[in-house]
Amino acid sequence: MSFWLTVAGMVAVTFGSRYAGLALRADLPDFWVRFLHFVPIAVFASLVAPSLEGNRSEWEIRLAAAALAAVAAWRTRQLWVAIAVGMGAFWLLRIPW
Amino acid sequence: MAEADTRAAFGRGFWILAPLWLGVIPFGLAYAVTARGAGLSLLETQALSSLVFAGSAQLSAVGLFAAGAAGVEIVLTTLLLNVRHVLYGVSLGRELRLTRRERPVAAFFLTDEAFGVVAGARERSFPFLLGAELSLFMMWNLATFGGFLLGAAIPDAEKLGVDLVFPLAFLALLVPLVRARVELVVALASGALAFGLSRGLPGGLPILLTGVGGSLLGAFLARGTPADRSIHPDDAAREVA
Repeated sequence: MSFWLTVAGMVAVTFGSRYAGLALRADLPDFWVRFLHFVPIAVFASLVAPSLEGNRSEWEIRLAAAALAAVAAWRTRQLWVAIAVGMGAFWLLRIPW
Repeated sequence: MAEADTRAAFGRGFWILAPLWLGVIPFGLAYAVTARGAGLSLLETQALSSLVFAGSAQLSAVGLFAAGAAGVEIVLTTLLLNVRHVLYGVSLGRELRLTRRERPVAAFFLTDEAFGVVAGARERSFPFLLGAELSLFMMWNLATFGGFLLGAAIPDAEKLGVDLVFPLAFLALLVPLVRARVELVVALASGALAFGLSRGLPGGLPILLTGVGGSLLGAFLARGTPADRSIHPDDAAREVA
C-alpha cells in the first residue's frame, strides 16, 4: 500500500509543478531560476556516482564502461548509443580473455 | 476554432514530436527494465508512466525503491526533479491563452519535450500543444510496456550486470547538460558528495541532499551572470527527461 501512497505523492508534486506555472503569472527571482537550471545536473550526478560501483566487485570494468559511455553520450548526444556502448564494453571487458 | 482546424492542429502537434520518439523509446525501455529489476509489477511500472509521466523522476524513483528509500524521500526527490516545470508553465502560459478547463489538461501531460517543441514552433494553440503532449505520452507508455516484457526475457538480470543500465542512463542524460565550467564543477561536486553521503546515509537521502546542495552551489557560483529564462528548444529535446 505504501507504494501507491508514494505514487499519489509523486503525482501530486509533479502535477502541482506543471499546473503552478500555467496558473501563476509571476516571475521567479533570478537566484531560483539559476537554482532550477542546476537541479537536473546535481540530481543526475548524484544518481550516477553511488551506483556505478555495483556490488559484485567489478568496479574497474564498470568504471571503464561508464567512461566510454560518457564519451559516446558527448559525441552523439543519443541515450541509446551511450547505453549500447557502455553495456557492450562492460560485457566485453568482463570476458576472462 | 472549427472542428476540422482543431483536428489538423492536433495532428501537426502530434507529428512534430515524432522525431523525438527515437530518444523516448530507449529511455522508456531502460526505465521499464530497471523497474522490473527493482521488483515492481507490470501494473506498478505502467502506473508510474501514465500517472506521473516524468522519465527522470520515474527512473530515480525505481532506483530509490530498489535502495529501500522511504516514500517521503521519493516524493521529495520527485518534487526536486519536476519543479523545473514551473518555468515551462510560466513561459507557455504567457504565449498561449488557455481557458480554465484547458489548463489542467495541458499541465498533466506537460513535458520537457512538448514544451521544447511548442516553444520552438511558430504555432501556438491548445490543440497543437495537446497533440505534441499526447504524442510523447503514447510512445512513453508503449515503450514502458515493451520494456517490461523485454525485461522478462532477460534471464538473470543481476548476473548479467543489467543494473549498470541505471547509472549509464543518467550519465547519458547528464553529459549533454554540462556545457560550461560551472556546470562541470556542480556535476563533479554533486557526484563526490553523493558518493560520500551514500556510505553513511540510507536510501534516497543522499540524492535529495545532494540535489539541493548541488543546485545551491550552482546558483551561488553563477550569481552575477544573467539568468537564462528562455529554455532553448534544443536543450529540452536533448534532455529527454
